Amino acid sequence: MDAGVIAITPWRLALALAFSLVAGGCSLWLKLGLGRDILVGTVRTVAQLFLMGWVLGVVFAADSLWLVLPLFLVMAGAAAHTARGRVREKAVAFAWPMYGAMTAVYLLVTITVTGAIVHAEPWWKPQYFLPIGGMVLGNSMNSVALALDRLFSDLHARAAEVEMRLCLGADAAEASADVVRAAVRAGMIPSINSMMAVGLVSLPGMMTGQILGGSDPSAAIRYQIVVMLMIVGATALGSSLLTLLIRRRCFGPGDRPLLR
Amino acid sequence: MSHLALERVRFAHPGGRTVLEDADFTAERGSFTVLRGPSGAGKSTLLRLLCRLEEPQAGRVLLDGADIRAMAPAALRRRVAYLQQTPVVVAGSVRDNLLLPFSFKANAGLPRPDDARLRQGLAGLSAADVPLEQEAATLSVGQRQRLCLARALLTGPEALLLDEPTSALDPDSAAAVLAAAEDICLDRGVSVVLVSHTEFTPRRVTPQNLHLEAGRLAWTPA
Repeated sequence: MDAGVIAITPWRLALALAFSLVAGGCSLWLKLGLGRDILVGTVRTVAQLFLMGWVLGVVFAADSLWLVLPLFLVMAGAAAHTARGRVREKAVAFAWPMYGAMTAVYLLVTITVTGAIVHAEPWWKPQYFLPIGGMVLGNSMNSVALALDRLFSDLHARAAEVEMRLCLGADAAEASADVVRAAVRAGMIPSINSMMAVGLVSLPGMMTGQILGGSDPSAAIRYQIVVMLMIVGATALGSSLLTLLIRRRCFGPGDRPLLR
Repeated sequence: MSHLALERVRFAHPGGRTVLEDADFTAERGSFTVLRGPSGAGKSTLLRLLCRLEEPQAGRVLLDGADIRAMAPAALRRRVAYLQQTPVVVAGSVRDNLLLPFSFKANAGLPRPDDARLRQGLAGLSAADVPLEQEAATLSVGQRQRLCLARALLTGPEALLLDEPTSALDPDSAAAVLAAAEDICLDRGVSVVLVSHTEFTPRRVTPQNLHLEAGRLAWTPA
């Protein structure tokens, strides 16, 4: 299948660094102050992907559930950590429920795709499970971060409205229902928008990778359709569950709002 | 037995200033209490403690002698209504706003008022001229304040906590709201605690005056 792949030699890979130099040049020219970030980002991209390439080589060769599952958990932990870092709220502790819920939801979605749709044998076959799991995590991480950031900012901005409802006899869920809806919508909209643009504006990563790897485009698009639908489902499930779970932590005993 | 009470309450904002230190306070059923004090003394916090929007670090808050922590929060807040300083309305008509409390599970057992009762509620607050169909967002601040008061009264509270209800109102609207508060106290036997930054000249009630400053509560002569 990969007979058509043109290998990138180390020298030609080094040539790609010219793009980072262009970005650094723009930063210098316009005094953007991004030089350091571009440098760190370039080094991390190269190092992390080489490391992942090596790890995947080991895991593919071992072909063991007891390597696939821990690697998925590490990836889920990194996704939760990254999403946590993007949310500015520090008054409510939510790192652990976030990690737990993200792992559970995205594990379930990934197993459903590899086991029930792709029919990989076994369901955890690393060549399928890890790339698909990675795509679920990568996309959902952004949606969760957007949803939670919106949840917290709206609970601050609309605190008087939430309190008004509480004072009229609403419980915490009723008082914050509008805020929760807005947060989940904020988390879901990017993946819905990407469904609108796929195939017209962009050729997404998995499909591109398969086509570059020599796959028949008609097979590649089927995978991409599964991936797009999987991402919408995963972001909806992840944003909804996380938002509802963490909303509970924004109220103290007696349905007392903790954010004002 | 007192109706509303604080018993040796201590409250400080998280990581900050102490608002109440060992504070005691009682209000009899049907009484009218006026709470004064310098800006930032914690007058609003005291009201919020009474309906459990804040939790004391020490001491107890009592309603009819019972610790409010033992009560379902929605049931407590139906009995002790708190009116915020800035009136908050939701998108929709005046009617939608007045009926908002009846959309909550805890109020499912209460009879849903008809239009005649809603109009009667507004008329009792000198707001009979406000049509039920009007968008609430288009009301003046004074009208919104009266709408919020009417809404709070529809569920039949036994105590009313008013947080500077006249601070943003013109003199006529302010007088109407304060007169309504006195009527509610005298005619319905509702205990009223009024936080006021301005002089309050009672029309019908004989208020008890409370002063809060530097964490201490003290009764003052009328």
